Amino acid sequence: MFRKIHNTKGESGTKQKKKYGEGIIKENLQVYALMLPTLLLILIFCYVPLYGIIIAFEDYVPGSSFIGKDVDWVGLKWFKQFITGHYFARLIKNTLVLSILNLIFGFTAPILFALLLDQIKHLKYKKFIQTASYMPYFISTVVVAGMVISFVDTDGLITSLLSVFGFARENYRTNSGAFPWIYTFTNVWKGFGFGSILYCSIISSIDPGLYEAAKLDGANRWQQVWHVTLPGLKAVIAINLIKTVGDILSTNTDLILLFYTPATYDVADVIGTYTYRLGILEGQYSYTTAAGVFTSLIGFAITYVANKISNKLAGVGLW
Amino acid sequence: MKNRNQYKSKIKEGNRAVTAILYLLAALMAFITVYPMYYVLILSLSEPQYAATMKVYTIPKGFNLGAYEVLVTDTKMWRAYANTFLYVIANTILMVITSTTVAFGLNYKKLIGRKFLTMFLLIPMYFSGGMIPSFLLIVKLGLYDSPLSQIIPAAFSIWNIILVRSYFRSIPDSLSEAAKIDGAGILQILIKIFVPLGKPIFAVIAVYTIVATWNSWFKAMLYLPHTDWQPLQMHLRRILVETTRTVTQAMDPAAAKEAAARELSNAQLQYAMIIFTTLPVLFAYPFFQRYFVKGMVMGSLKE
Repeated sequence: MFRKIHNTKGESGTKQKKKYGEGIIKENLQVYALMLPTLLLILIFCYVPLYGIIIAFEDYVPGSSFIGKDVDWVGLKWFKQFITGHYFARLIKNTLVLSILNLIFGFTAPILFALLLDQIKHLKYKKFIQTASYMPYFISTVVVAGMVISFVDTDGLITSLLSVFGFARENYRTNSGAFPWIYTFTNVWKGFGFGSILYCSIISSIDPGLYEAAKLDGANRWQQVWHVTLPGLKAVIAINLIKTVGDILSTNTDLILLFYTPATYDVADVIGTYTYRLGILEGQYSYTTAAGVFTSLIGFAITYVANKISNKLAGVGLW
Repeated sequence: MKNRNQYKSKIKEGNRAVTAILYLLAALMAFITVYPMYYVLILSLSEPQYAATMKVYTIPKGFNLGAYEVLVTDTKMWRAYANTFLYVIANTILMVITSTTVAFGLNYKKLIGRKFLTMFLLIPMYFSGGMIPSFLLIVKLGLYDSPLSQIIPAAFSIWNIILVRSYFRSIPDSLSEAAKIDGAGILQILIKIFVPLGKPIFAVIAVYTIVATWNSWFKAMLYLPHTDWQPLQMHLRRILVETTRTVTQAMDPAAAKEAAARELSNAQLQYAMIIFTTLPVLFAYPFFQRYFVKGMVMGSLKE
C-alpha cells in the first residue's frame, strides 16, 4: 500500500526511475480502453482494405474471403491485362489532360487570388470578397454539377453567354471538345476561394519590415510582390505543387461521374470512373483493384521524384 | 492584424488607377462566384412562363412560389432530408468522440507503445486500399444496403485525430498533474479538463464533419442501392444530373402531378430544389467559415 502511494507520487513528480510502475500500467490500460473502439474502426476500415489489395493478384470470386484455401493466384495477369488493354491509352491520356489543365488553372488560381486580395487594403471590402469566394466550396458537388449541367444546356446561362461571342447554341454537356474546359473551370470555381485561405494566412504573417525595406529600395507594387510576397510563399507553394503533381493520376472522380455521359467517354473516362463502372457495376473486382494499385504506385513514384526535385531546387519538401 | 495592415498600406502606395483596377477585379471574382447561385434563385421565383425561357437575369420576372409549393409535397425529398439529418447528427457526435479519445491517449505522457501507435495512424494517411477492396469489405460486414454504411466507416478521421491532438498539446500538463494529485483518474482528467478546454477544436471538427456529411453522396451511391436510406444528395443527383429522366419522374407521383398541372418547367423545379436544399448551407457558411480557416491554418502548421 505504502509503495503504491509512493509510486504514484514519484511518477507525477520528476523523471521516473523504474520503467513501468504499477500505476503507469493501470493508467495505460485505461487510456487504451478509451482508444480501443476507434483503433478497431481504423484497423477494420483502413487496414483490412489495404490487405484486400491482395485480390489484385488472384482470381477473386465474389463472396469468398480475400485469402482462402482455394485462392486462384494469377500473379500479374490483371496488371498486364490493364496495361495492354484497349482502353489503357485513352484512360491515361484523359487523366493526364484533365490533371495538367488542373495544374495550370486550378493550382495557380488560389495563389493569384491571394496575391490580389493582398492588394485590397480596405478590410471590410476584402472580408466581403473573401466570404463570397468561399461560397462554392460549401455547395455540394452534386448541386454544382447540376447547376453547370443546366447552364451549359442549349438555353442555359453559360451557353447564352457564349452565344453572344458567336459560339453555337448546343448542349455542351455532350460535346467532347468542351468537356475538359467545363470540368476544369468548375473545379477552379469551386475551389479557388477556399484554396486561397492558406496562402492569405501566410502572406499576412510576412514581416512588414521586409516591405518597408523593399519600399526604401524603391520597389514598386509588382517588385514587392515578386521580391517579398512570392519568396514568402515559396515553401507552401512547393509543398502544394508536390501534392498536386503526385495526384496527377487521381482526378476528381466525383465530379466526372456526375458530368460525363457515354457521349463524352472518349475525353472524360479516367481511371477512377473506369474502376467504378467495371468494378462496382460489373463486378470485375480483381481487375479493377489491379488498376487502382497501378495508379497508386505511379502516383507514389511521381510524388517521390517531385519531392526529391523540390528538395534540391527549393530546399523544401514533404519529407 | 489590423494594425499591421494599416501599417502596410502606408508604405505601399501604388498607382491609384492600378489600385482601382485591382479592386474591380476582386469584385468581378466575387460576382462570378455568387451570381450563378443568385441566377438559380431568381429563376426559381419567377412566373413559370418566364422561367421556361431561362432569360431572367437581374430580378425575378413576376413572383411565383409554385415550384416550392410542389417541392414541399414531395415525400421522397423529405425522407432524403431526414436521412441526411440522421447521418449529420450521428457522424458529428461520433467524430468528436473518436477524435477526442485517441487524441487524449496520444497526449498522455507515459503512453506505452507510442511509436507503434503513431505508425499505425500515419500509414493510412498515405496508403489506402481503394474503392474496390473497401466496397467488398462493406459487403462482407453486412453493411451494404444499410444506413450504417453511411455512419460507421465515417465515424473517424485520422486527420481530425491529429488536429485535436495538436490542440491538446497546448493544454498545460500542470493542469492534469494537479488533478491527479487531487485524486482524479484518467477518465476524470479527460472529462473535467480536456473536454471543457477542447471546445474550440471540437467546434472546428464538428463543422468540418457537418459540411462533409451534408455534401457527401459517393459513399451512398456505392453502398446504398435503394432509395429508402439514401441521403439528400442522392435525391438531388436523380433530379439534377441523370439525363435520361425528367424531374417529375424522380419525384413522387403526387408531387409530379401537381408540377404538371402548374406547368412548371424542368429547370424551374430543379432550381427550386437547389435553393431549397442548399439554403441551410448558405445560411450557415458565413458562420462556419472561421472554423474552416482555423482548422486549415492549424493543419498546415502541423505539417
